[in-house]
Amino acid sequence: MNQVSVLAQNIPVESHAEASLLEVRDFSLRRKKATVLDRITLSLSPGETLGLIGESGAGKSTLAMALIGLLRAPEVEIEGSLRFRGTELTALKEADFRRLRGNKIGLIFQDATAALNPCFTVGKQIAEPLRRHLGLSASACRARAVELMQSVGIPEPRLRLDAYPHELSGGMQQRIMIAIALACNPELLLADEPTSALDVTIQAQIMELILDRVRALNSSAIFVLHDLALGAQVCDRIAVMYAGQIVEEGPSERVLNAPLHPYTQGLKSCVVELGMPTLTPIPGQIPPLDAMPNGCRFAPRCPKAQAICGEQRPETQTRDGRQVACWFID
Amino acid sequence: MQETIFSLLDVERVYTLGTTGWFRRKTRQLKALDGIRLELKHGDTLALVGESGSGKSTLIRLMLGLEPASDGRVLYGQHDLAHLDAEARKRFAREVAFIYQNARGSMNPRMRIADILAEPVRLHRLCEEQAIPARVEALIARVGLPAGLLQRFPGELSGGQVRRIAIARALAAEPNVIMADESVAGLDVSVQAQVLNLLRDLCRESGITLVFITHDLGVASYLCEKIAVLYLGRIVEQGPTHDILSTPRHPYTKALLQAFPRFDAPLCASLKGEIPSPVNLPKGCRFAGRCAQVQSACLEVDPPLTLLTPERQVACLFPVVNPC
Repeated sequence: MNQVSVLAQNIPVESHAEASLLEVRDFSLRRKKATVLDRITLSLSPGETLGLIGESGAGKSTLAMALIGLLRAPEVEIEGSLRFRGTELTALKEADFRRLRGNKIGLIFQDATAALNPCFTVGKQIAEPLRRHLGLSASACRARAVELMQSVGIPEPRLRLDAYPHELSGGMQQRIMIAIALACNPELLLADEPTSALDVTIQAQIMELILDRVRALNSSAIFVLHDLALGAQVCDRIAVMYAGQIVEEGPSERVLNAPLHPYTQGLKSCVVELGMPTLTPIPGQIPPLDAMPNGCRFAPRCPKAQAICGEQRPETQTRDGRQVACWFID
Repeated sequence: MQETIFSLLDVERVYTLGTTGWFRRKTRQLKALDGIRLELKHGDTLALVGESGSGKSTLIRLMLGLEPASDGRVLYGQHDLAHLDAEARKRFAREVAFIYQNARGSMNPRMRIADILAEPVRLHRLCEEQAIPARVEALIARVGLPAGLLQRFPGELSGGQVRRIAIARALAAEPNVIMADESVAGLDVSVQAQVLNLLRDLCRESGITLVFITHDLGVASYLCEKIAVLYLGRIVEQGPTHDILSTPRHPYTKALLQAFPRFDAPLCASLKGEIPSPVNLPKGCRFAGRCAQVQSACLEVDPPLTLLTPERQVACLFPVVNPC
């Protein structure tokens, strides 16, 4: 429990009454007048896994970057609130954020080759958060790094400790990233497309590993994904994003098996499944940020769009156990 | 009977790695391909499937004549690719087109799209100089892009658009065969669906023979009527797509199918470990180290690719009886 106290000492915790670990309310992010994220509302309970799904440019990664404070004022304009364990993240000072990042919030990036530093051995890189956040000694760091490497399924961890990233395969590098992300037993794990550069067989291994570790630590996880079927397999809840907005959010089996929003339906009909006869792509593409339509942002591509969709933004409504933002839900 | 376009006869490709040992007398050899037998008929659509490191790209480089086979022969029609004269080589280059994995990297960033598409037409003197602009416009229309893009540079186009231009360029010389290396990898699902539909329509309409490399069985099943599964430089299973998907006979194919993400099944890490290095190959079956149903015989005997039915081949001593 001493890790919790590390955080408690440094950051004013306002309330512990809230049941959710992460509470995003009406969160908007603007960059050069363009609304990149538009009134995002989300919450995540302890132990829950959430998938952010959508095309490139939907704002999935931007939301993840904002959550870990890599996108903050004054570079971008921010509105609304992000609360993590009752702490308002938008008001946090950079120094305090640094105590959180890599400690209470772990990160897994898409491209492990790019994310790992080629100049340092993997052992050093796993030890960095241990030294920085937990203040472990060099020998304790080494011992814990071996443990961590073992827990992420790296054979002969003692030998690999002094390996440089380029000496490992893509799957092994991703495992090292997971070891770094989980080094301080984070309460929230953010994984931005953790497996899109890997083979399906390795993807399944890595996903199983992440889920297994997250469950073992009783942490929550947010996955940024573009593969809907994978989302159905690993996430408890799914938030479908389009052009900076959440258009549908709810339990993954409902959202993905019986989607209500036309965009989710469109996405699902594009997914290649085994032995599928036809694919129906969504026509067009996400509009550029400086030319977003006034009403529903999906209206220009939507098969069900009517006059009102082009004029007014649909309010989010609760339907069938999920949140949907559409004027015409069947 | 359809005409055979490509036949590969026991093709092998060995790379020699740096020398080691006393006085550098030992050389290490990497066997990227070993005993590949493959026949491609006119109008076939074949997917080469396997993990990275299974030899898919090496195989396609050999079929394009970009690299010589270390042993065995690659025949295009009746001609051995290793002994083509200049004339035949040029005809081969016109008839067999390649779509590179990195579509953007395969284009000169300083050339406008119009020039990129006109280049193969000019090279093979397919029409008069005055007719080229009309031909280029027809090409870009064929891949469903507006003619307005012709004056742009590759860097100004989106990922999906660049892939379409790569397809248009492959079509420019009116080829009989298109080979494509991971042409839809890394695209958004909706863009991927558009490009897949485009490729499928092109093959169906013009009867083009397609060889498609992918690690995604879903993509393979959507585009191709036949699948060849590669593992460590060997074809381990080959046959019609439908049969392979419904009744995989090689444990590796079965594991690939199980690892494929689906809506109706839980996550399944069907394979342990990673593809081993092709430098020190095990004595028996190459897949034995990761196989769920390995038996002692597998460690001794290297199973050859044998016929199960006239269309179906599998290289396993104990083919899977009950599918997934």
